Amino acid sequence: MRLRVVLQVIGAINMILAMAMIAPLLVSLLYSEGDTKAFLLSFIITAVTGVILYLVFRTSGLEVGHREGFVIVAAAWLSTSFFSSLPYIFSGTFPTFVDAIFEATSGITTTGASVLTEIEELPHGILFWRSMTHWLGGIGIVLFGVAILPLLGIGGMQLYKAEASGIAGDKFVPRIKDMAKILVKVYLFLSFVMMVLLIISGMGIFEAFIHAVGSISTGGFSNRNLSIAGYNSVLIEWLIIIFMTVGATSFALHYDFYRKGFRAYRENEEFRFYILVLVAATLLVAINLRIFHYSGIGESLRHSAFQVVSITTTTGYSSADFAKWPAFSQLVLMTLMFVGGSAGSTTGAIKCVRVLVLLKFIYKEMYRLIHPHAVTPVKLNGKVLSPEVLKGVVGFTLLFLFVFVISSFLLAATGLDPVTSISSTAASLGNIGPALGTTGPMSNFAAIPSFAKWVLILDMILGRLEIYTLLILFVPAFWKG
Amino acid sequence: MRVIIIGAGVVGYTIAKKFSSEGQDVVVIEKDEKRIKELKESLDVRIVEGSGSSPQILIEAGIEQAEMVIAVTNSDEVNMIASLIAETQSRVPKKIARIRNPDYLNYTRIFERDYLDLDFIINPEKVAAERIVKIIEIPGAVDVMDFMDGRLKLVGGKLTAQSAIVGKKARELGRFFPSENIIIVAVYRGNQTIIPQGSTVLEEGDLVFSLTHPEEAMKLLKLFGNGGNEKAVSRPMIIGGGEVGFFVAEHLEKAGHQVKLIEKNEARCAKLVEKLDKTIVIAGDGTDRELLKEENVKDVDTFIAVTNDEEANILTALLAKRLGARRCIALIDKPEYLSMVSTIGIDVAVSPRLASVGDILQFIRKGKILSVKTLMEERVEAIETVAMETSDIVDTPLKDIKFPQGAIVGAVVKDDQVMLPNGHTVIKPGDKVVIFALRKTIPQVEKVLMVKPEFF
Repeated sequence: MRLRVVLQVIGAINMILAMAMIAPLLVSLLYSEGDTKAFLLSFIITAVTGVILYLVFRTSGLEVGHREGFVIVAAAWLSTSFFSSLPYIFSGTFPTFVDAIFEATSGITTTGASVLTEIEELPHGILFWRSMTHWLGGIGIVLFGVAILPLLGIGGMQLYKAEASGIAGDKFVPRIKDMAKILVKVYLFLSFVMMVLLIISGMGIFEAFIHAVGSISTGGFSNRNLSIAGYNSVLIEWLIIIFMTVGATSFALHYDFYRKGFRAYRENEEFRFYILVLVAATLLVAINLRIFHYSGIGESLRHSAFQVVSITTTTGYSSADFAKWPAFSQLVLMTLMFVGGSAGSTTGAIKCVRVLVLLKFIYKEMYRLIHPHAVTPVKLNGKVLSPEVLKGVVGFTLLFLFVFVISSFLLAATGLDPVTSISSTAASLGNIGPALGTTGPMSNFAAIPSFAKWVLILDMILGRLEIYTLLILFVPAFWKG
Repeated sequence: MRVIIIGAGVVGYTIAKKFSSEGQDVVVIEKDEKRIKELKESLDVRIVEGSGSSPQILIEAGIEQAEMVIAVTNSDEVNMIASLIAETQSRVPKKIARIRNPDYLNYTRIFERDYLDLDFIINPEKVAAERIVKIIEIPGAVDVMDFMDGRLKLVGGKLTAQSAIVGKKARELGRFFPSENIIIVAVYRGNQTIIPQGSTVLEEGDLVFSLTHPEEAMKLLKLFGNGGNEKAVSRPMIIGGGEVGFFVAEHLEKAGHQVKLIEKNEARCAKLVEKLDKTIVIAGDGTDRELLKEENVKDVDTFIAVTNDEEANILTALLAKRLGARRCIALIDKPEYLSMVSTIGIDVAVSPRLASVGDILQFIRKGKILSVKTLMEERVEAIETVAMETSDIVDTPLKDIKFPQGAIVGAVVKDDQVMLPNGHTVIKPGDKVVIFALRKTIPQVEKVLMVKPEFF
């Protein structure tokens, strides 16, 4: 383990974070609501730490090996969670340290769960910073580093693999650096387009930024207490539905679309499955809502679609209080919390591709009982998946569920009710945000015990890094030889 | 520049690594799934799974935008088909293919413009054989390379205890070599590669690379404490009658040596006898101790193990050495083995892979750079180039040039006159120079060589 390299990269990532703090600093100057000092102080601390780490541990060649990759990515996320909480701490937004960390982690992991009770009273700078953390974390803060840093050889790939979500796809351009740049460009482009469309549909520039970033990064922070329900606008809701769907679609696939046209989406098996899940769940929930909750079909469909897409893409915006919906609808949403969007996007949870592979695997196992001698490989996009990939999928899913169970128990142990315990864990581990019960969409996480908050903070980072990257550091063998 | 490399064997891998580290866009086509996994773990390139002779795969790899296609699979036929498809698909500007079968090599028409239109053909076996022949001619040499079209030789040899220059500083060497035509460009000590400065002290056991005029190569090795007075080669023995073995035997036979060649496969033996008149061809196993004794291995002065099995080559060479053979040369390709050759007691290791990689690089860099060769498992690069007007290297005495540590000017050719430089040498625009540099200093060296932009 070359600790120098790790610390140097962390330094560089801190510098990126410090750069990102300049934007809210300017916003706070513009509105002068008393939060400027907090941002200035945070900027200085973050930048100085970054520069010192970078310079002190500078090595001639940034060679990142297999293990350094894991350590760098895990450390980068832990340190970013801490440093991005500085503005909250200095501005006194939160009464306790754990709350500041919770909000920061929730932002950077694009979870979108909040411990704020009165969002609308906050200074604009702080609101801007919450969304900025979404944007940085959405595509992955280390990815920005990969695009900028002079990483040697395979180093960038190691970092990319440790941070990327889902089954890491093949590189679509020869150099990892170029690929990182392309992904960042796609991300920027989508965020910009959505922001413009929101402005056209009547939102102010500031709110348009917050919701564009919140949707594309599938984060879910809003500047309204009532989230999207606060606007009560069908146009805005559909815009957000579309862009949440886009944000949780593989970015490599978007790039493919740019080159090949709609054929790219049509031919991708994971994308078809992802859309199928969205459509089927929307219809099921709409029918249920029409029977038990709303009086009109249009209303049922509109709220059903918004909530289903919001939860599946792991965004967490809400246009209605789904915690008050009938049990069936709540259960569908709860299930979707585990599914998530497509791999290689800003989404969280298990990811559609894994669910799809698991379903195919189960089907093949049954098929084999009928034809014991049949050759039954699991295929994806027309290609046979190797046993290693299958093992990886099964292993990850089991680990995800295992962490979910343990964490739910820990939450329940603090005295929370079962629905809140289970749904909060699922919503944090899957980077969704609002859960059911007392932590529903029209409520927040402020009231839960601080131990429970720490557990959820850990869940959010575990979920964002797909568990292995963080958990592997606690395996003794990782540090030996 | 987009480079497509077909076949990620040792040659393909090394070239891919080199290109990728130089910032080129590399796409590798490979069909072995296991190999692909290894590549993904170690190279920053795009990998396409499939056969290089399939048009579909080549299109997927982006052959339309490719500026160079290098086909180096194990199969000549695949390499040729890939080149052909590259030609029909998009007329790729540069095509390089590995062809080893002499049947094809002797029928050169298919490589010409109207057919495959290959720009460069590599035949690792032949390159390796040529290298062996060059090394054999100079007793005691571990490596021999030509520079400036053969007007200079780079000779590598080990310093033994008898050498007069052990314990001396590099700048004092002139005293020991009357004509002063010697310049040490690289030293390999243990696992360390050193580009010497004037004050570098030479130690016993160092592997020293020095440039010299060809006629003085033998003297140079004597100075290193090698070679003695014996004739270069007189009784060579070759194990393995493959392409390399045959080529070396043919060459030595022509030079008038009594060659013994041991080959396992009897059918192959029959073919060899047909082509080689004076060589004694023996059908048998080279690792057979009794056979080696029977053929008087203790009198052999140069033992050459060149079978297709590199482990066997190492073991046979060691066995022969124990039985009394004086100098042993083995064909080894695995980088892991190459690095321990001198420790286990093999005198010379020749790697077809590295040799052909060097050739490909040399071909590719044609232009301002005349040639690039690599030594010491590619840790050092030798760049032959023309000094450009307004670059930092010209019109200043060498000692005043801000040259990176780890790089050295080895030779200068002025008006067809080869000279070995010292600190006072001034390079003029148009002079040819050979620069030796550690790989990591190459970017700095390139900066020194670069033409400065002039403003009006």
